[in-house]
Amino acid sequence: MIEAGVTWLRLLLGLGAIFFLGYAWLTLLVPRPRDFTCLERAAFSFGVGALVLTFWMLTLTWEGVTFSLKMILGPPLVLTAALLLTPRGRRAVREEIQTLPVRPRIALHGWDWLLLGLIGMVFLYALPRAGLYPLWAWDAVATWGCKAKIFYTTRGLDLTCIEAHNYYPNLIPLLLSYLYFALGQVNDSLAQVIFPLWGALLLGLLYSLAGRLGLSRRSCLGLTAFLALNGTVFIVHLYIAYADLPLAFFTLGGAGLLYLWLADAAPRGSLTLGACCLAGMAWCKYEGPPLAATLLLAAALTLAWLRPGRWVRRLVHLSVPLAGLVAGYLPWRLFTVQQKLEIGADHIQNFYPQQMVKAIYYLLAGLLSPYYFGFLWPALALALIVSGRRLWRSPMLFLALFVGGNLLAIILAYAVAPTAAAEFPAYVRATLDRLLLHLTPVAALLLALGLKDLEG
Amino acid sequence: MAAAKTWRLWLVRLILGLWALQVLWLVWHFGPEAKDLAHRVARGDVGAAIRQEEPLYRWATALQAVIPESAAYVFLDDYTAGKEIEVRYYLAPRRHILLSPEVPASFLFYALHQEHASFLLIRESQKPLGPGAQAALHSHAFHRVNLPGPGLVFRVDPSLLRWGFYD
Repeated sequence: MIEAGVTWLRLLLGLGAIFFLGYAWLTLLVPRPRDFTCLERAAFSFGVGALVLTFWMLTLTWEGVTFSLKMILGPPLVLTAALLLTPRGRRAVREEIQTLPVRPRIALHGWDWLLLGLIGMVFLYALPRAGLYPLWAWDAVATWGCKAKIFYTTRGLDLTCIEAHNYYPNLIPLLLSYLYFALGQVNDSLAQVIFPLWGALLLGLLYSLAGRLGLSRRSCLGLTAFLALNGTVFIVHLYIAYADLPLAFFTLGGAGLLYLWLADAAPRGSLTLGACCLAGMAWCKYEGPPLAATLLLAAALTLAWLRPGRWVRRLVHLSVPLAGLVAGYLPWRLFTVQQKLEIGADHIQNFYPQQMVKAIYYLLAGLLSPYYFGFLWPALALALIVSGRRLWRSPMLFLALFVGGNLLAIILAYAVAPTAAAEFPAYVRATLDRLLLHLTPVAALLLALGLKDLEG
Repeated sequence: MAAAKTWRLWLVRLILGLWALQVLWLVWHFGPEAKDLAHRVARGDVGAAIRQEEPLYRWATALQAVIPESAAYVFLDDYTAGKEIEVRYYLAPRRHILLSPEVPASFLFYALHQEHASFLLIRESQKPLGPGAQAALHSHAFHRVNLPGPGLVFRVDPSLLRWGFYD
């Protein structure tokens, strides 16, 4: 009993350190963290903390330093303390402490309780499902979990034991191995709790961003529940230890902050924080860098189309998130070159028109099937129709371009996928839900803009 | 204008109605797994105990004591069965080389020699043993390790391996 208590305590301390590190970096990245809501601060602290910690682990590998909890946490914590001692850090902490005794009065009514209860029900199932069952899903066992176990047991980023997908970015394996160091053992069931945590932070971020778009609290809660309880994909990803949920989190963060910036409704420092989200996308999964690049492309096209005041200057400002993407992509890319790791060339073989036709069918079926994402995508299609001209005349265009462009990109990716004709349906079945998951939270944000019309 | 708004509200109600039905379906869909979770929690049968139910896991755990962490092994199995990735996970960080059960003897022996693999694992299957595995059974370079489980285990002496004429 005492041993189990100590293990849980170590896990909580390990997770707490990620939030702590991230929060300190937040004080450096944005002028005033209090400009962001409590849910946003929690979500971005965890995201930034995970980035800082895992990039530090990559640096240790580069320097030939063996992993240990002391080396993984020690120097970043010293730096964190230094950051919090700067005038900006001290002010942020002071403001946090000052607002601690002030508890906002939250008056929830019937429907609010129901919606909150529905979201709670998801986590009542997903949290123990993640934390009490061992790692079991295919990619978790074959790639992410296997690497994490190897990094922990070999005390370094040893890629000699595993041949498949060595070139994949390593945010998730390094984060899991950090938790093993925090726990003092490979405990692949307990470490999995970061996935429901990540899911909860994603929902919190969506709730908060929807509020910034002008939705009432009830609509924000409804939208959040609508994402959490629509189809099976989101719920299953809360406990299968895949990198797709963290990628969806960073994508939502990046898209949300860029949208607010385009709509002139962003808190100060949003672009820098958006840059961190794009870095997270690049460091999370192989699909991350192109996905992040499409965010920048959609933002640039929106500026060029809408031509708001000083739009050329604003185009130049997009170099900040671009720098984030480069900073997230380059360290691992350079490492793979230095280590002479073979990079997979999966999707660049040939163009197969018959696969493209099939891909259109599978994609439409995936978007409409209640099994995947319930009625979220059909609801979005209706919301876009209802939006009418506003879609072309407001920054809403940015989100629509990003989502629509990536749906097209999925079709194109399947059209060049080198699979045998007989294997193609299985290939699509194994990948489509995940590719859509990366976009679905952003689709929910776009839906929020449609809901705003109705509320108005 | 008012008609358009009414029409939109009906659309929202329709979506919400469908969503409510879908939430009920989700409860039905995840019900059996939630029930299994509740039973396991009640019995305290969670975490590593779940893995103990798997014969493959028990076999791999026994193999951990036989194969040193620095060693490499060749695993003969069909990738699509999904068992190979589990064995690789359980035996990590031991170096894992996957070959098809149908691999010819020459290539199996070459791979064992080239990769300095000191163990050969063959997961049991419905199909008869392939030519490589058959040759291994009759070669002096392979010594059967008596380990009960869903597969065969051989200790390999790569220095005794010769290849080029087994096919």
